[in-house]
Amino acid sequence: MDPLKKHLTALLRVGLGAVFLYAGILKIANPAAFAGNVANYQVLSYAGSYLVAAILPWIELICGALLVTGLRTRSAAALVAIMNAFFIVLLFSTVARGLDIDCGCFKQGGEKTTAWTAIFRDTMLLVAAVFIYRKAPK
Amino acid sequence: MKTDAQRLAAEMAAICLIAAVIGVAWNHRLLLDVFQGRGVQTQKTPVSPAAGTTPAASPTAIPMPLGLMQVKELFDSQEAVIIDARDRETFRKGHIKGAIPFPVGDADGLIPSFSAKTPKEKLIVVYCGGFDCHDSRLLGEQLISANFNQVFVFEGGYPEWQDAGYPIARGEN
Repeated sequence: MDPLKKHLTALLRVGLGAVFLYAGILKIANPAAFAGNVANYQVLSYAGSYLVAAILPWIELICGALLVTGLRTRSAAALVAIMNAFFIVLLFSTVARGLDIDCGCFKQGGEKTTAWTAIFRDTMLLVAAVFIYRKAPK
Repeated sequence: MKTDAQRLAAEMAAICLIAAVIGVAWNHRLLLDVFQGRGVQTQKTPVSPAAGTTPAASPTAIPMPLGLMQVKELFDSQEAVIIDARDRETFRKGHIKGAIPFPVGDADGLIPSFSAKTPKEKLIVVYCGGFDCHDSRLLGEQLISANFNQVFVFEGGYPEWQDAGYPIARGEN
């Protein structure tokens, strides 16, 4: 890989990691609010929403930290790609079910992000994660 | 010898496992409250003692939190007035059976008529949408200001009640 491509890949990796670090920290700071956002998707039970709200932000945080530091990059990028693919499917399901909810992706209880905006953003993150996965050394 | 795919899967599983352990440990109190049906404690006020009995009167101007089991006992014994602090449209979609619609935004207008027909020592349980919903606490504080002296907040709210399979109703009360 030529030096420019190498640096751009590194920049993308750190940027993606920072996004997930940020998302994880915001959710960890307010798990009850995030549980409420999870419940709004009407997929999980009351207790299930809390369980996901307790664990998912830590997966985001760890993946973010691994991407930023460049450790276990392929695994972190693969996990981020899987999570984003899952989020996209879930967001499409809210559109199909006519649910007008906040995606709960970042700040909890802040300004509402529509499903289409979140789908677009998650698709960009998915593309970035797949790119990093493919470029990372085995 | 592990293939590349196996190694990748193992590393991803390890990340998820570590996250699960840290996440559950970090939120253990919150999860215990949820799984034991005690409601989510969003403020540091003591839960009233002696589950299964009538709760003690609130000594402060802050409504005391009640758990799912205590609310269910009060519901079964019909000792308490149960009040729904959510907006009317949400109330119509589903509420605790027998609850009174009492949107927190309309509280100033509703409290005088409620006060006229409800004894001040009556047990009152206020709920809203659970999770981080604060409407029940706000309404509880307004009721305490209106001299009701046994006001409690069911912090798990309608989602926890519905999830437990307890009686609900739809439409107007």
